[in-house]
Amino acid sequence: MAKFALGSEPVVGSLTQTKKREYKVTNRLQEGKRPLYAVVFNFIDSRYFDVFATVGGNRVTIYHCLEGGVIALLQCYIDEDKDESFYTVSWACNTDGTPFVVAGGINGIIRVIDAGSEKIHRSFVGHGDSINEIRTQPLKPSLVVSASKDESVRLWNVHTGICILIFAGAGGHRNEVLSVDFHPSDIYRIASCGMDNTVKIWSMKDLPSKFPTKYVQFPVFIASIHSNYVDCNRWLGDFILSKSVDNEIVLWEPKMKEQSPGEGSVDILQKYPVPECDIWFIKFSCDFHYISAAIGNREGKIFVWELQSSPPLLTARLSHPQSKSPIRQTAMSFDGSTILSCCEDGTVWRWDAITTSQA
Amino acid sequence: MRSQETSQTVKDVLWVIDSLKKQVVADRCVSIQKRIEENRQKMVGVTKLLCKLSMERTTSTASDVNRNLDLLTKRQIDAIHMHNGVNASNGDRESYSSQEDNHASTAVLLGSTVAARNAVRPIKITEIKRLPPYTTWIFLDRNQRMTEDQSVVGRRRIYYDRSGGEALICSDSEEEAIEEEEEKRDFVESEDYILCMTIKEVGLSELVLESLAQCFSRNPCQVKARYEVLRNEDKAVGGTKEEDIGENSKDGSYFLDKDKDLDAALDSFDNLFCRRCLVFDCRLHGCSQDLVFPADKQPPWTPPNVENIPCGPHCYRSVLMPEKFAKVSTSSHGDVEEKCSDGAGVQISSRKESSGPSTRRLVQFTQSESASSNAKNISESSDSENDPEQDTTSASHSSPLKTKPVAKGRIGKRNSKRVAERVLVCMQKRQKKMVASDSDSIMSGGLCSGDKSSSSKENEDSTSLHKDIKSLTIGRSRRKDLLIQNNLNTVLGESVDHLSNEMLTDQPGPSSDANLRKADSVDDNVYKQEFSDNKSWKAIEKGLLEKGVEIFGRNSCLIARNLLDGLKTCWEVFQYINCDGGKMSYPTGDAANSLVEGYPKGNNEVRRRSRFLRRRGKVRRLKYTWKSAAYHSIRKRITERKDQPCRQYNPCGCQMACGKQCSCLLNGTCCEKYCGCPKSCKNRFRGCHCAKSQCRSRQCPCFAADRECDPDVCRNCWVSSGDGTLGIPGQRGDNYECRNMKLLLKQQQRVLLGRSDVSGWGAFLKNSVGKHEYLGEYTGELISHREADKRGKIYDRENSSFLFNLNDQFVLDAYRKGDKLKFANHSPDPNCYAKVIMVAGDHRVGIFAKERIGAGEELFYDYRYEPDRAPAWARKPEASGSKKEDGAPSTGRAKKLA
Repeated sequence: MAKFALGSEPVVGSLTQTKKREYKVTNRLQEGKRPLYAVVFNFIDSRYFDVFATVGGNRVTIYHCLEGGVIALLQCYIDEDKDESFYTVSWACNTDGTPFVVAGGINGIIRVIDAGSEKIHRSFVGHGDSINEIRTQPLKPSLVVSASKDESVRLWNVHTGICILIFAGAGGHRNEVLSVDFHPSDIYRIASCGMDNTVKIWSMKDLPSKFPTKYVQFPVFIASIHSNYVDCNRWLGDFILSKSVDNEIVLWEPKMKEQSPGEGSVDILQKYPVPECDIWFIKFSCDFHYISAAIGNREGKIFVWELQSSPPLLTARLSHPQSKSPIRQTAMSFDGSTILSCCEDGTVWRWDAITTSQA
Repeated sequence: MRSQETSQTVKDVLWVIDSLKKQVVADRCVSIQKRIEENRQKMVGVTKLLCKLSMERTTSTASDVNRNLDLLTKRQIDAIHMHNGVNASNGDRESYSSQEDNHASTAVLLGSTVAARNAVRPIKITEIKRLPPYTTWIFLDRNQRMTEDQSVVGRRRIYYDRSGGEALICSDSEEEAIEEEEEKRDFVESEDYILCMTIKEVGLSELVLESLAQCFSRNPCQVKARYEVLRNEDKAVGGTKEEDIGENSKDGSYFLDKDKDLDAALDSFDNLFCRRCLVFDCRLHGCSQDLVFPADKQPPWTPPNVENIPCGPHCYRSVLMPEKFAKVSTSSHGDVEEKCSDGAGVQISSRKESSGPSTRRLVQFTQSESASSNAKNISESSDSENDPEQDTTSASHSSPLKTKPVAKGRIGKRNSKRVAERVLVCMQKRQKKMVASDSDSIMSGGLCSGDKSSSSKENEDSTSLHKDIKSLTIGRSRRKDLLIQNNLNTVLGESVDHLSNEMLTDQPGPSSDANLRKADSVDDNVYKQEFSDNKSWKAIEKGLLEKGVEIFGRNSCLIARNLLDGLKTCWEVFQYINCDGGKMSYPTGDAANSLVEGYPKGNNEVRRRSRFLRRRGKVRRLKYTWKSAAYHSIRKRITERKDQPCRQYNPCGCQMACGKQCSCLLNGTCCEKYCGCPKSCKNRFRGCHCAKSQCRSRQCPCFAADRECDPDVCRNCWVSSGDGTLGIPGQRGDNYECRNMKLLLKQQQRVLLGRSDVSGWGAFLKNSVGKHEYLGEYTGELISHREADKRGKIYDRENSSFLFNLNDQFVLDAYRKGDKLKFANHSPDPNCYAKVIMVAGDHRVGIFAKERIGAGEELFYDYRYEPDRAPAWARKPEASGSKKEDGAPSTGRAKKLA
């Protein structure tokens, strides 16, 4: 890791808990034998803030978090291809508000499931290899973006079924793309990262809506912050949170030069240490307001960081004697009071915050 | 006492540094805090908006009463009801339960005190056949050179083993060393701050510097140097700020900045414009190519039909008309006559002009013109006397050189100036020599002609650098030559009056010429009226005008329209050319002025003759067969092609016929049309003169040398364009089209991409073709062999390689950039073959049909991997049988061979 020059060191969070928030396991369910790779709450539609989806193997499952730690199974979808292994899932919605579940995996086919009518809405064929992450544009939830092993990031419209843009080519990723995220307020900006150790920020000047698909070959910014696979990145306002396999999440600011795209510098602001988090494909999640982030590790523990305080504060360290399997992804509910984790051994854990009045 | 004092200061210094350091760190924390807080404020607004949006979605759908409740909401409500113990025995639910099949799974409300069963039938998603895997690739219709940032050399690559699931770090030991190397760090702001504050506080001394160096982990010299820099910056801060603003405003309007010299503009042109592809920012040959100025200059372009139609409202023709009428009233009879003959009898009028003593200028004009042509004759004769061998070998070459028009002399000067600039940058030492040789040429120029001196100099100069200098001296000496000619003019002017008149009548000058001459005869006071305007000619405009004269001759209409659009009108250009331009560039007086005007005409004539000569000379040359010396290196390649890859061609910058030092010759390639050497160069590939055979067999020297024909080089090669309504090029090859230009013209077959019958993707042919038909080009990124070795390691791991050996310098990589033919599969018994072909100086890979191929058939060709490097699937059955180490990685990489 590069040494920091004097006066540009990041603020590193301490692992000693200063501001405590108690969570306890309220439920645990075994979905199957196959590993679960993704779990996500629906933040698109306030009706479904308590509804979440998980994927693993050839299954997409939708649950509802009820009071008292109860989890109700709502829907379950199974791909007829037994070899399919879904890696990622995201909530989206049609222009008329119908909730969609968008999932993708090893087959490289994006499945858009209409949860309102329990039917498959569309299947996007185009990616040349497995899909590692799908994210939804929060301002226009009919747009989704997918990151794939074929070194490309693609922007799709789930309503029309058109692949709008392909972010790949001369300046694109040189290896699998592992993660991608929409900028929260700038609809024309996305960030992607992958196995080529870089984080790339892409811009689309004006969004074409018609076929044929266009290519965006050059990102506006390329950051080499990590020296290994970068497997998760998220925007935090204009800053970016990203993680590699170095046992930490890094918060940094891209400083772009408007005149010369592609150039610029990186200012690493803060670091959030996560012990025993040195394998790839472990993703973190934030609550709706990006107040805190939760991330699991190789040993089944979860760390909850308060993101927007300086220095960063560790609010909770969750562990359970039976939770030993690597946690691939977590999901934080709207207000952060519920944390879900999905594990390599096919289990879903539910943690609920203990409110002070109860305690 | 003394030691105590020093220890005291050491402590002091360290204390100061330490406290400053702490302050910097604290400042940093505060600034991060501030920025995060700012960001948080922004985030609050954003999330509020998002929250509102998600609420709106709820209400908009909920308010739609008539709509059926969607199933997700329904299930949600059911679940809540069940949780609350309400019996949710719903008809719908029951029907589902009754339909339960083996696939159904049941889930309980886990953790609930009421162990209610909630049966959900899994919904099947119909299977869709997945695509064969591929990496996203960009279509290329022509090869591209790799950009530096795409290189994998010197970079650490991490792979993960699919089966083992572990990451492997692949890098060579030598490259590790590169990574270890400490790069030079710049001083950051905080370091500067500490540096300044410390010195301010405790003063400058060795001790302070040392402690500072320790603090920054640098050496004291660096720290001291930095301090100097900072102090200087501090002083200059006031001044630079103003300058910065000035510069910024300049940057914004680069081309509009008319004070800038054209040279500066041309510099970027030279760097960015590719002379081989005729595009800016060429991706194949890259920018900053070596500048090659051809020894043979193009004659000024003359438009096919010059009519007396004004080019616009400000055309000199339309301006001249009324003025002429005005003149009629005051001037003599001769002028009137001239005006009458204007439209038709151009030659007659000009003769009358010269014979009639109507105006002072006219006499002078003819005199000096004749003088100039005479001077030319003299120099010609002196040249042929002094330099007989050169004349005989390249008559076509030497004659235009000697009769260089003034404009051309200027070009030479300009070129050499730019060349000289480059030389200056790279090696200042040589400059002295250059000056010396320059003075040499002046001296020799005084004795005989400049050409002579420069050609004799060429014998002395051997290195390419010297050649650069030489070209400069040519330019200079040419100017000197001009001056000498001027002197001669004054001496010989009167005596050759008669001769010049003859020449004028002989010359079938186009009407534009006549116009120019006529306009010239217009009274001087016409120009004087506009003198104030002429003063406003900026450097760049002048530069552009010079270029324009070079390209279009003295056609002010074309110059104004093409080069000075929006800057100057045709009339202004015309005035400048005919009056000020001459005066300003050649301040030798009236004689020189008229000399400028006289030149194009005389030159036209001589050039016409020389062109004729050249053609004849060429015919003779074409009698050589491809067995002759010029093809030596090529023939070698044909016979030894199997063992030795082709050689990459780089144009040489030789200004004279290539000698032993020519870079092409040394490299073993032929000279091409992009070389600087004249067409007479012995190392040039001369093309073919096939007609009936249509260049389709090895009878054609181009075909035999694995080259495509080039209409610029070959004598009879052409193809018809369009439907023939625009006519076909006449008099070339008796209606036999050349069949050896398919890559150049992109006359390729439609190739389709589809699921292969063998494995993965495959390329298919849309329409049937005959044997040896060209199907398409295998395009890709041009990478070095070193880069290919590195990439090959990765590709071999993934068991797919799109590398293709092109020549001794480059390998084609179609992994991320290429065309559909990259998906054509390997077969030991293929229906296509690949061939590396030289097309206009570039090697390209063409895929050809080995046999008749029907429509819709899949295309295969033999990748021709080197036997020991071929992957198992590409080996011949018997070969793979004998070698058992299929699984072991090969030592080299698998690369396709032509």
